Amino acid sequence: MSAPFPHFIIIDDSQLDCFIAEKIIQNTGTFSSVKSYTEATDALESIKDLGEKIDAVTIIVLDIQMPLMNGFQFVEAFEQLPSEVQSNYAIFMFSSSINENDKNRMENYPSIRRFYGKPISKDTVARMIEQL
Amino acid sequence: MEKQDKIKILYVDDEINNLTGFKASFRMNYNIMIAVNAIDAMEHLNSNPDIRVIFCDQRMPGKTGVQFFEEIRSRYPKPIRILLTGYTDIDSVIDSINLGNVFRYVKKPWTDADILGAINEANKFYVSNSLLAVKNEELQRAYNELDKFSYSVTHDMRGPLLSILGAIEAAQHMENISEIRDMLMMMKTSVRNLDDFIQSIHDYYNLNRGELEIKQIDFKELVEEQIRIFSFTYLVSDVKFNTSIIQKETFRGDELSIKLILNNLLSNAFKYQKKDNKDKFVDLNILVENGSAIIEVSDNGVGIAENLLGDIFNMFFRANSHEVGSGFGLYNVKVAVTKLNGKITVDSELNKGTCFRVTIQNK
Repeated sequence: MSAPFPHFIIIDDSQLDCFIAEKIIQNTGTFSSVKSYTEATDALESIKDLGEKIDAVTIIVLDIQMPLMNGFQFVEAFEQLPSEVQSNYAIFMFSSSINENDKNRMENYPSIRRFYGKPISKDTVARMIEQL
Repeated sequence: MEKQDKIKILYVDDEINNLTGFKASFRMNYNIMIAVNAIDAMEHLNSNPDIRVIFCDQRMPGKTGVQFFEEIRSRYPKPIRILLTGYTDIDSVIDSINLGNVFRYVKKPWTDADILGAINEANKFYVSNSLLAVKNEELQRAYNELDKFSYSVTHDMRGPLLSILGAIEAAQHMENISEIRDMLMMMKTSVRNLDDFIQSIHDYYNLNRGELEIKQIDFKELVEEQIRIFSFTYLVSDVKFNTSIIQKETFRGDELSIKLILNNLLSNAFKYQKKDNKDKFVDLNILVENGSAIIEVSDNGVGIAENLLGDIFNMFFRANSHEVGSGFGLYNVKVAVTKLNGKITVDSELNKGTCFRVTIQNK
């Protein structure tokens, strides 16, 4: 029996980028649910609320540069969660550009699977699912 | 002259008589330190990093002056090295230049004029060297700033462009026309954001490079222009725009900077409104009297959290993610106000509203 399709959480302060990611993911048909947040703190709260109750892995599509709580700050807070919760999620970082500093920084966080350049595409969605 | 203000000079020689003679001759004008051997000299160098000139005798037991210079060169690169020597065979001259990297060569027995001349030249060289080092440091700092700046700018410019690219991609797979229309609306916002951003970079450039152009300011005229600019915004989003201008005297200032301040503060006030609020307003009050102009922009919008207030004037800082901002607007306002020798204060309460107050002096 094959595993169920993953859930998707999109965290990006740009509403348009959230909308695009939702559409692209929905078009692939390979998803259980898609939800987006323009504020990382809201996403974190809902992950906390949900706890371990989850029927399939959730892919987090995470923007790096956001006001208030940026991508890295989100990952830091995420890695404080119980490991049973963390293991339900796979984080992928997205940005329109990246400097060496951010690249090096990413290596400090074990929960970040990979970095992709924006915009998200059908291919990126397929590749994220392959890596689960 | 105080002792600490005098140029520090180190003289190394194994003959005590030479040392005391040297010190006696020059101690009035310089802070002279003496050492009978390399070990004493090192001690002086360690505790006095600001020694500018080192004189060293070539003929010393155990170590020649050239060897001593060669040894200290990498550890103490700043002091200027001058060799004193009685004999002048060409080999020691070559060595002193190539190995000891000496600045001057003074023949023994020296005259006061020889030494004074050497110190003068050495000091000039030292000063221009350290000036160069300072300039280099400044340049490096400016370069790093530029690096950060261009990274942030490219990121912020590519952001909206890539959003639009993604939207086009997604729209190609859409059948539903109303969904495509929604997408177009969002693309339009993205294009506008990019344009705003480019405009604010232009402002930034003008502010930092441009000279002030002081002329008479008619605040009524300036405000009428702003009313025209924002008329569409306040009609569409149903925000009441109240203006009051009391100009009791002629005012002189830089029009471009004042416009920029007005435009940015107003644009923020209109942008950061509470969507569900029934009586949204933006108040603009200008009072010109007693040699200064007070500009007050207040709204009853979303407000700014107290812990973020300290950062709002920083470049690229954004206190809100509901609306798209460049993180440039208030930074530019601050620069403009500073350029006009004015001051800006802010009062804000989350979910209640914000009030910016700018005071600038009549020129």
